[in-house]
Amino acid sequence: MTDIRTDALRPMTPLQVRQERDFIESLKQDCQTYWDMVEVGDVLARDLTITPELVILYADAVEDYNPWYEGWRMNTWRIPGESPFGGAIVPPLMMSHFVLSVQFDHTKPFAIGSIHTFHDTEILEPIPVGATVRIAAKAVEKYEKRGRRYVRHEVTVTDTTSGTLYMREVRDILSL
Amino acid sequence: MAETLIPADAGRITRDTPVGFELLGVKKKAAIQLMGSRLWGRFNPNHWDPVYAAETGLPAPIQTGEMSSAYLSEMCVHALGPAMFRGARISCKYIASTKANEVISTHGRVVEKTPKGDGFRFRIEIWAQNEDGEKKTVGFVEADVGV
Repeated sequence: MTDIRTDALRPMTPLQVRQERDFIESLKQDCQTYWDMVEVGDVLARDLTITPELVILYADAVEDYNPWYEGWRMNTWRIPGESPFGGAIVPPLMMSHFVLSVQFDHTKPFAIGSIHTFHDTEILEPIPVGATVRIAAKAVEKYEKRGRRYVRHEVTVTDTTSGTLYMREVRDILSL
Repeated sequence: MAETLIPADAGRITRDTPVGFELLGVKKKAAIQLMGSRLWGRFNPNHWDPVYAAETGLPAPIQTGEMSSAYLSEMCVHALGPAMFRGARISCKYIASTKANEVISTHGRVVEKTPKGDGFRFRIEIWAQNEDGEKKTVGFVEADVGV
């Protein structure tokens, strides 16, 4: 039990507080730790079409208003966009964020208590907005350091049509 | 009083940029509304709910690391332009949590330039810190300029 209030950081009515507490309660489900969920050698892959609206969702969430990323604008809606590479392109680390939705098996309950601690990302080619990419994550190592448990993945992002390798990444997750 | 604007191309890295050059950073507030947006999943309440965060021992909800990486990347796109999208590398280590309402600024300094083709491969140390100077994310970027 805590004295901290749901509306401590943003204004909310009793209705909003009730909805928020119900939603958070719904997230509490039985789940494994990430350490137990993953075996070295596991490979997970999913395809993602990077729609203009998805790029806007990401760019707005990090308050990045670079026009190179705009394949969608209010009033005109979908547009080709402009960048030094021609049309609109995807922000450099947007795909790195979506790796999370691949390395955590989305068919299982979320491994709560996991923290992303590190990434080393090679950005090989610009990704055009509208591309469909395959994000593949392979668990390559589980290790302990200073009493903490980490799971390391190697990731690739490739174009499902052209086969272009857009991004390579090594990333670590700290597990309970 | 009107604010003074810097030139639009200020802070761009060119072949002639020396080691020691400091990047122009960006500044963002860890706004709870953004931390709790659907983009970040809304499956880990530690990222937006003060009650859940307190129950797990946190003084406040904490940002996802990817938000800091995005801020650093935005700074690097301004400094490097198209070079940030082809043959670049960015490495980030999250060494401290960013708590709700903290103001985060990004910083970078050229630490190495190695001749490559007609230009150079630059190595830039980067970091994000709060207003007290506490570093939250540290790492480096490498990119080819004028190659």
